[in-house]
Amino acid sequence: MIIFNKIWALIIGHITVFKHSFKKRVTLEYPEQKQVLPETFRGKPVWNCEKCIGCGICERVCPAAAVKVDKNNDNINSYFDLSRCIMCGNCMYYCPKHAIRLSSEYELATDNKNDLYIYFNKSEGV
Amino acid sequence: MNYLYFWYIQILSKYNIPKIFGDITFPILPFCIVAAAIIVAVLFLVLAERKILGLFTQRKGPNRVGIWGIMQTVADAIKLLCKQNVDPRGADKILYNVAPILVFVPAMILWGIIPYSSEFVFMNFSVSALLYISIAALPVIGIILAGYSSNNKFSVIGAIRSGAQIICYELPMMFVLLSIVLISSSMNLKDIIFSQLGSFSILNWHIFPCFLGFIIMFISILAELNRCPFDLPEAESELVAGYNTEYSGMRFALFFLAEYATMFVMCAFLAILFFGGFLPVTGKYISEMIFSDNQFLQLFIYIEQVIWLMIKTILLVFIVMLVRATLPRLGSKELMKFSWYVLLPLSMLNFILIAIIKFIVDGGAI
Repeated sequence: MIIFNKIWALIIGHITVFKHSFKKRVTLEYPEQKQVLPETFRGKPVWNCEKCIGCGICERVCPAAAVKVDKNNDNINSYFDLSRCIMCGNCMYYCPKHAIRLSSEYELATDNKNDLYIYFNKSEGV
Repeated sequence: MNYLYFWYIQILSKYNIPKIFGDITFPILPFCIVAAAIIVAVLFLVLAERKILGLFTQRKGPNRVGIWGIMQTVADAIKLLCKQNVDPRGADKILYNVAPILVFVPAMILWGIIPYSSEFVFMNFSVSALLYISIAALPVIGIILAGYSSNNKFSVIGAIRSGAQIICYELPMMFVLLSIVLISSSMNLKDIIFSQLGSFSILNWHIFPCFLGFIIMFISILAELNRCPFDLPEAESELVAGYNTEYSGMRFALFFLAEYATMFVMCAFLAILFFGGFLPVTGKYISEMIFSDNQFLQLFIYIEQVIWLMIKTILLVFIVMLVRATLPRLGSKELMKFSWYVLLPLSMLNFILIAIIKFIVDGGAI
């Protein structure tokens, strides 16, 4: 009896696999078709220089030490190193003024490493 | 081959080419046809396997090179041809180079033994079924040599597994073949096919008296081809790539070519033994219905026979791929146990059953 159960399970398994061939493909042909991202997706960070008060919390909470904030009186300089960033979103959650937002941009591959260093100045902008 | 021979000589004489040229070139033609057919079939099979596995896992498979990725295997082949052949340090150079050839040549001979239509048989021996089975077991020598000469642990383990596997599964296969030979009272593959010709068309096929034998044969063939769930010799997750770990370039391509060529020809063998080979499913040749009173009717029938055999073979290949998509790999010990404790007794039982059926059907006359 056990043997018959096993054979039956084998047949059911094959039928199940065969049924998959009638289902919709899940593959996306990448550059032409893109994935629909969730709202909470954490991509490349974006600074809003107007809101920044230069408190430096983002520098302290960053586990990868990708952010550096310099405050001289009213002038705020912030350096951001995307090659170190792990997209954890800590800076976004801890920022008291919501000056940092993680955008949904994820195509960050580049052949020039200088593209990954971003420098912000409050008075000058990006 | 007589019909084709006269046809060939006739065509040559039309262009004032002497008959002696035809006599010399005619035996070479089958070789050329087989070589061309193997390459086309393998290119088709590799792509088909990737596409079908994609189908079963809800992916698309190759879809970039050419329309729907049909040129993918051609691109792969060009890549393999251009690659460097690396000899590992400490390898036995001669055996290392001979092994891929020893694996590929039997596959090519097998293609010659298969009767594609009633006239289109390259090597027609009276014991071609026996010859087929014995040559089908030959590639394992090449595999063992490849494993031994590579100077690599994984290769040796893969080769030993392959040797153990072939010993286990050759025996049930022989018993099933014996029962088929018993039904058709011939060892010639063409005669085996013609013994499935009868007034009941499909019901005359050997699969109906010998269904158990078909299952045993199918499993044994999977084991002999080193395919899932019996792909222990090249188990990727345990042994890197088994016996062909060290091989690269054209030598690896030969292993690859041999694997798929044997897969196709083994499925053709199954179709011949159990599904009536080149006999039509409809009971009567379709070209006979369409082109009655045509001087080329005979030729059309031969072509149709080839198409019938190919359809049956491709369906069997599809099932082999379905099995690969479904089942996980067996353990080495389970594999042996399954063969010696389950398949061998069953195949003997099948043989005895077939003998009894034959005795009753023939009215007790021996």
